[in-house]
Amino acid sequence: PAHFQEEIANGGTHFDHTPVRNECKTMLDALNKVTACYRHLVIALGSTSDSQNLREELKRTRKKAQELAVANRTKLTSLLKDKSISKEDRAEYERLWVLFSSSMELLEVDMKRSLEIGQDFPLKVPTRHLIQTGMTGSTTTVAARAMSVQNMKYEADSNIDTADLRDLQSEISQVTQMMEEMEMKVQVAPWAVEAKQEAGAELKSNMSVGNSSVGVISICEEEPKEEEGGGGNRDAGFASICAVLVFLVIITVAVVLGYLVINMS
Amino acid sequence: MVTSNPAPALHNQLSWKPRLTAHHLSLQAEKLMLEMQDPKTGVKSQPQRLFNSPAPLSVCFSSAEARSFGSTLVALGYIYPLRDHKRLVIKPDASLYRFQTPYFWPTQQWPVEDTDYAIYLAKRNIRKKGILELHEQEQYNRLHKWMNHKWDFIVMQAKEQYRAAKERKKPDRVVFECQERAYWVVHRPPMIFTQQSIMRPRVKSSVSIGALVKYCATYRSHDPFLSNCLPSNPWLTDDVTYWTLNMPNVEIPTKMRVERWTFSFGELLSDPRGRNDFRLFLKKEFSGENLAFWESCEDLKWGTAATMREKAEQIYKTFLARGAPRWINIDGKTMEVTVKGLKHPHRYVLDAAQTHIYMLMKKDSYGRYMKSPVFKDTLQKAMSPEEHKFRTFLFKRRPSLSPIVLRQQEQEQKAKMAANVDITQLCRFTTPVPHLAVYSGISDFPSANASPSLPFLAQTPVCPSPISVALDSTSASDRRVEASEGEGEGNPAAPATVGGNASKSRVALSLRRLLRRGCTPTTMFASLSPKCHSAAGTSSRIQPISPDQPSQAPPRRIAK
Repeated sequence: PAHFQEEIANGGTHFDHTPVRNECKTMLDALNKVTACYRHLVIALGSTSDSQNLREELKRTRKKAQELAVANRTKLTSLLKDKSISKEDRAEYERLWVLFSSSMELLEVDMKRSLEIGQDFPLKVPTRHLIQTGMTGSTTTVAARAMSVQNMKYEADSNIDTADLRDLQSEISQVTQMMEEMEMKVQVAPWAVEAKQEAGAELKSNMSVGNSSVGVISICEEEPKEEEGGGGNRDAGFASICAVLVFLVIITVAVVLGYLVINMS
Repeated sequence: MVTSNPAPALHNQLSWKPRLTAHHLSLQAEKLMLEMQDPKTGVKSQPQRLFNSPAPLSVCFSSAEARSFGSTLVALGYIYPLRDHKRLVIKPDASLYRFQTPYFWPTQQWPVEDTDYAIYLAKRNIRKKGILELHEQEQYNRLHKWMNHKWDFIVMQAKEQYRAAKERKKPDRVVFECQERAYWVVHRPPMIFTQQSIMRPRVKSSVSIGALVKYCATYRSHDPFLSNCLPSNPWLTDDVTYWTLNMPNVEIPTKMRVERWTFSFGELLSDPRGRNDFRLFLKKEFSGENLAFWESCEDLKWGTAATMREKAEQIYKTFLARGAPRWINIDGKTMEVTVKGLKHPHRYVLDAAQTHIYMLMKKDSYGRYMKSPVFKDTLQKAMSPEEHKFRTFLFKRRPSLSPIVLRQQEQEQKAKMAANVDITQLCRFTTPVPHLAVYSGISDFPSANASPSLPFLAQTPVCPSPISVALDSTSASDRRVEASEGEGEGNPAAPATVGGNASKSRVALSLRRLLRRGCTPTTMFASLSPKCHSAAGTSSRIQPISPDQPSQAPPRRIAK
């Protein structure tokens, strides 16, 4: 294989980066997952699904994201600083770097927004009401997904909505600083990276960069059906009614025929 | 149900003030949103049936007032409709709306990112199994092309976000999807990009440049900087004749001015003298009510808000009502719209009618005016002032009187006056006539003025004007300067305290200057009305401001 030939060409001392790459991908996937969950949680802030639990979920998800971010950064910067990496590997690490920095951008924005909204919507103030968005359920399953646990346990104080904001501010400044350092230390041109996925790649299941914790994408047909007025429901209703009618017609015909047969004989 | 308007002030603001900035509007809208959430004083939401499951809350707007402020909220994105989600309007029926979550509220500090939109489209692609709407498909392709380097990230993130959303219970999931979709309807409105750009109205550059060239050619000779203005540009020669001759309601207009009236109807109307002429013409034609109406409309537009109501009523009674004394002839539809608008008059309620009348006058009366004897007469009488004779001095820009210099002179004069006791206590007022004699250089006054500078007059210390004080101080120092240099324009005059020798030399100086100039436009001085004259007398000082100190003078004066 080409890889093997390249190794020989390099004098045979070329380090096989495949396990390293896979490790990076796994870490990145984890970060990606946590970022996505964090965004979902921040969207619930200020609405009727906001609660002390949500604030705790946000806090813990955020901390996990930060840990993953630091781990990713350390790994990737050390790899990118290594001059002895082959061109291919380097291109791959640069691609992973772009993935990493994009994730971090999203995370930074979401953290800032959660600070803003968290400040605007304190939970304990009786005159401050949450927005009636229509969402009433909890976000505990999302947080559990982020933390990779089965069930979330809530242990925080009842004033976490205000107490956490201070931590959040300092964490935001940490993240901002980290990103600035990243910009300066690592010279990667993001626009030079070529994506591996084509348009529509999201439709293919298992086309992932690494090992996601949840396996298959079940393509779901959910749609906000308000505009069709529960059309699906109606259709199903119609179908069943038609079936029943047809059945009844057949039964009637059968009964009539039977009656005629009996009469004739 | 939102039946009554909980914030009438905001409602008024939202309807009336088009100049509210987006940020200001957002703040107000957010305040309103928060107020509406109060279970006691805010709006009542109603549960909505959805798949026989616990229902998400939604709101409906019933009264017209509520709809009007709701429409701003929905246009901005603070609430969204459940049906017909692409049209961000409040419909006058029992349709339902829902509040948007704070994360999706429009704020200026969080710009809407294309990355997020790409992720959203990818998510939608997953959900719709690859069948996107046309505009979404277009946008998707465009973003795929321009954000290609990030595409791996976008796919990854889309998948993860999709999975995270699926962790929620079904009703919440539906609400979430609605929210997101509504957000993107606001920020990436569903219009097909290429079609839209084709339909945008464009003007051929040949047309627009042609218009520009025509404008320049027409107005070139009237531009005071590009061509000579007659008699002279006051900013260059310090001669205000130009302004005097072009006063708003001067009796005899200049030829250039009359020529401008022929350029367009707008020019004629915007010039008060032209408007007067036009009014005269219309009076002869018995169609003066059109212009009167137009003027009243302008008055309404530019007048104070307090008087608007009465003005509108007055206008209606005079011009628009049936059987009105000066009834104007506008078409039925415009009349209908205007009368309807007059029920709730505001500044621009008569705009339609005014435009109609304007076009009427422009197409009809303007043409006839141009051919009328009134205009021809005016044109004939129009005068063309001679160009200023002191042309040579146009090229040598004389230093004009600087306020700093004036102030210093003022201070010197004050100091001097404090030191001296007043010689004369009288401030004599005389008729202008003797003055003309003075100005024509016949008098024995040392201050005969021959300069084209602004001839202001000084008075005795008893009734000093700042100008006079300045003049005095000017003259005082000027004397010294000019005695030594003998150059420059303008004349100092002798204060009474000066001895005869000095005055003689000054006379000589001024006569020399007179001869150099060669002209004393007495008419110029006649047109100006001096404030306080002083008669002949040892105390009187008639001196113009000499705006033209020699350039070397200032440093010297300061030294002195």
